[in-house]
Amino acid sequence: MNVFKNATRRQALSALGRVAAGLAALFTVKHVKAAVQGAVSTPAPKGYDPTAHQWQMAIDVEKCIGCGLCAEACKKENHVPKEPGYFRTWVERYIIKKPKAGAMVMHGEVVMARGETVVDSPNGGIGGFSPSAVPKPEILKSFFVPKLCNLCRHSPCDQACPVGATFRSPDGVVLVDWKYCIGCSFCVQACPYGCRFISPVTHTAEKCTLCYHRITHGLKPACVEICPTGSRIFGDLKDLSPSNPLRKFYENRKLQTLKPHLGTEPHVFYAGLDGEVR
Amino acid sequence: MSQPKLPPQLTRLLLVTVAIVAVYFAARHFLVPPSFGQYGWYRADFLKEAAALPTTYAGAAACAECHDKVVAKFAKSKHKGVACEACHGAQGAHADDPAIKPAKITDGLFCVRCHAANPARPEKFPQVNVAEHNAGTKCGECHSPHHPTEGL
Repeated sequence: MNVFKNATRRQALSALGRVAAGLAALFTVKHVKAAVQGAVSTPAPKGYDPTAHQWQMAIDVEKCIGCGLCAEACKKENHVPKEPGYFRTWVERYIIKKPKAGAMVMHGEVVMARGETVVDSPNGGIGGFSPSAVPKPEILKSFFVPKLCNLCRHSPCDQACPVGATFRSPDGVVLVDWKYCIGCSFCVQACPYGCRFISPVTHTAEKCTLCYHRITHGLKPACVEICPTGSRIFGDLKDLSPSNPLRKFYENRKLQTLKPHLGTEPHVFYAGLDGEVR
Repeated sequence: MSQPKLPPQLTRLLLVTVAIVAVYFAARHFLVPPSFGQYGWYRADFLKEAAALPTTYAGAAACAECHDKVVAKFAKSKHKGVACEACHGAQGAHADDPAIKPAKITDGLFCVRCHAANPARPEKFPQVNVAEHNAGTKCGECHSPHHPTEGL
């Protein structure tokens, strides 16, 4: 079939011209699109495959000495505002008091094993904890609990975000796209663990990224690097080598998550956690 | 038989509707980044941007590249497992350019931070009552931080 069979020279030329114009238009559209997208997003280094990893952090509560170096290192590494109130990770001290003398026995039965629980975290634990928050004779038990983003599989913060700025990456980290975040702080309210804040500098939501810029380059997160007692265990669940500290920890310890009743499926596992910890 | 003709007001409405829909799709085409939806309902390129941030802490492996002697001594001490930067502070700048010298640690604040007695610390962890344990003496006079039990 010949479309030009009955066409005059003028008609044929104009048809060809239109095809050429169409191709040129397509070409410019491609370039304009690339330019616009180049302004919206930046290209970055290659060589890291997010689908090949599953990063996780675990906490050994029994090893934490409450030095607060992790919280301090986190602030330095991630340029978190120095003021108290802005933390991506912090350390809490739990003090469980002895029950009061009268509360112990009622109608001849022992009714209370423990007294009131006091929790404090002065400046997130940066600078340490004074030993005298509660007089020693009144203390039944006391311990430190490091806190961070719980890397929930069903993260409430992710579901609350109205603009798709926060998400769970293929390598298991919940991140906030600072170019998309509008700073509405719905996610701050949604997080049941209090792990997010609105940065007074960028006015976007910020949170623990597991030091994404470090772990993608073969380094440990700053808090894990700095922890002097090995209370924080970090590794790749997809790394099957026997030397993987995370796998060893999972095999040898009895684990628990924070607020499991909320159904958020946290992926930060704690060993040695007391039921009093929220 | 004449063809049924659309009233002009409807034709205009139809054209405006088509134009609005076309503008919407054109805007979407240009504004949605190509990596959106690669892994999920977000911009996959953000992962690369987050990974490209600069680091502040160099990591113990970087220290061992030059300071191998003190690292070897340290590895035999009770302090093994403690990162260099836990006491010496963030040394990413020093690791990148050794001409940038880290500040010397002259006080015992770092010792106390971990080793001052506190009822919340694990019982097995070595702790001292700072007021009683050789008060007035600097920690460094008896303990070398790189090998705390050496010479005791």
